[in-house]
Amino acid sequence: MSFQERYLAGCAALAVAALVTASPTRAQAPTQPQEAALNAEAAQNDWPTYHGTYKSYHYSGLDQINTGNVKNLEVAWMHFPERATRGIQSTPLALDGVLYYSGSYSRIYALDGATGKTIWTYVPELDEDLVSKQTHSPYNRGIAIGHGNLYVGTVDGRLIALDLKTGKPVWDTKLLDSKKMTVGFTGAPLVVKDKVIIGAQGGEWPYRGPIFGVEGKTGAKKWEFFTVAGTEEAMKTWGGDSWRTGGGGGWMPGTYDPETNTVWWGTANPAPLYDWAGADWKKSGPRPGENLYTTSVIALDPDTGKLKFYHQELPHDAWDFDSSVGEFVMIDRGGKKLVVHANKSGYIFVYDRSNAKVENVWPLVKNINFVKSIDPKTGELIGRRDLSEGKVDPPLCPAIAGGISWNSGAYSPKTGLFYRIGQEWCMELTVEKTTPVLEPMAQLNLGATFKFIPPPDGPARGHLSGRDPVTGEKKWEVNYKQPPLASVLATAGNLVFVPDAEGIVHAYNAENGQELWSRNNGMGHNAGIISYMAGGKQYIAVPAGWGSLVADEYVALYGEPFKSMSKNTGALIVYALRQ
Amino acid sequence: MRIPFVTAASMAIIWPWLSTVSFAQQPNAAGSASPPAQAEASPNELDGRKMFSSNCGFCHQNGGRHAGRGPKLSKSERSDEFIIERIKKGKTGSMPAFEGVFNDAQIGALLAYIRGLDD
Repeated sequence: MSFQERYLAGCAALAVAALVTASPTRAQAPTQPQEAALNAEAAQNDWPTYHGTYKSYHYSGLDQINTGNVKNLEVAWMHFPERATRGIQSTPLALDGVLYYSGSYSRIYALDGATGKTIWTYVPELDEDLVSKQTHSPYNRGIAIGHGNLYVGTVDGRLIALDLKTGKPVWDTKLLDSKKMTVGFTGAPLVVKDKVIIGAQGGEWPYRGPIFGVEGKTGAKKWEFFTVAGTEEAMKTWGGDSWRTGGGGGWMPGTYDPETNTVWWGTANPAPLYDWAGADWKKSGPRPGENLYTTSVIALDPDTGKLKFYHQELPHDAWDFDSSVGEFVMIDRGGKKLVVHANKSGYIFVYDRSNAKVENVWPLVKNINFVKSIDPKTGELIGRRDLSEGKVDPPLCPAIAGGISWNSGAYSPKTGLFYRIGQEWCMELTVEKTTPVLEPMAQLNLGATFKFIPPPDGPARGHLSGRDPVTGEKKWEVNYKQPPLASVLATAGNLVFVPDAEGIVHAYNAENGQELWSRNNGMGHNAGIISYMAGGKQYIAVPAGWGSLVADEYVALYGEPFKSMSKNTGALIVYALRQ
Repeated sequence: MRIPFVTAASMAIIWPWLSTVSFAQQPNAAGSASPPAQAEASPNELDGRKMFSSNCGFCHQNGGRHAGRGPKLSKSERSDEFIIERIKKGKTGSMPAFEGVFNDAQIGALLAYIRGLDD
């Protein structure tokens, strides 16, 4: 072999080796998040699932953007979804440099993470007549990726799988008779092994809030767990036939604990929201009894949908303080495997991950009077205020929007702090005896009229605090004139990002809460913020766009800028460091 | 233009009867013949105020006397035709359409309740 032949052969060998070892091209890009990435504490280059990873920290391990250079953060690109009715409320996902997100009406966008260039879009055909009759609609709060598919629920009761590379529908499974029950899906699905799991809307609607397990490859329904009277034990906690219309949807995604093969999910309040039975709630009123498994955290076997264990955070919830809100933050401490879960009431529950035994309960917000306290050792409600028909005096705290809303907090394993938004407000309330409308289309089942008011200790307001997640000990706090309604992001760059209600996205020092950077996105935030890597560069992606049901309260509460803020528009705004 | 109060009120009076008939013909949510426990509040006792509390008070606060997610309704300067149309058709992104949920008599009962509101 001549030198030239040896040279050519060597080049050919190098070329073959390069093809084998080169980083995957787009055509070879992974279409399934790696197990290790899902189980990690930190999301790294990707943001593979709604809560970042199964640990649910909403924490990025990326640190290109950090406390030293965040002042150089600027807009890299933007994307404007069509028909952004009620703004954008979803949390994007990122995989191998591609960003995916959902808009209203479950429209899906796949975008090049570095440039924003559209790769594909998907627009499902929805039952528009049904959508026009829904209250909590047509927004969508998130998606899931797995098995080569992207999954999204719809407000008309379907779960759809799209090919991740092309956006073409793979299957479309009708899970709920939404035309009859009003409820559909707005929350993100969760991929666990071969299943995709999704919970229905429902709380103030007269149904039984099912959570479904669907086979990812085929779309076949494998199990359905009724959050209302889903077991014989639970059936006994509903007087008469009240279980038939009990509410209790699991309308936000839970997470998965691979060590015990357990899905953790939170459930909504029972219907009607407000119960006129007063202290006699165990025997009388519209839904006598403890109403299992509403306002509970439940642990399900993902393979069968069977209940493993549970804790009902608020037995016979008479105040609309769901457990559907709140991420499940998995923390190991002192030899204990714990999970931290925020309840809408403003209390944070800490559980043993093996059995949901209460390890601690602590209040995030100051203005709480629906109970005197919650026993931190047992979770028992102490001095509960059960409401009777008529005017509630003194006004109820927190208000119906809760001390905590559905937007997630974040936990940094680097600082050991849990960053959570709290809401301080109350409401005047008159409880009514009502009867639900069940046909031809079910409607809300509220059982009261109400009016938001400031709390006794000052104006209606919000705050972000950095706390020990287990003890609640506060290290720092930032206050806001209005509660931010978007999720929080923590990063290994020692930053905490908070997109606020007025439209400003803030970056704070994660150690002390010092504000280091802010930009005005021009409209309020009501979605999830993530970080990811594309082309070796870190990005921060935040959807802006205003108009959730809590956001709608801000016009009456605060006036401007909310009175003039456009509701039916939105943009995905992506930041990167200036070159 | 306002529909004479007497007409609206008479709609409110006949609505409970229509409602009773309607309920009697419908299976409940789970498809069973058993009445739901909520029937403790008999349909015969229903009126515009209770319908409003169950369905509308989520957005029109303090029974419609105060703005919330939706506007204040008491002393509204909107015409009866406008209010009826808005109840039927809703407003995209703000208010659901109740046409097909409530019949004309039921909507009349709601209108009567709204027109009877003080501040």
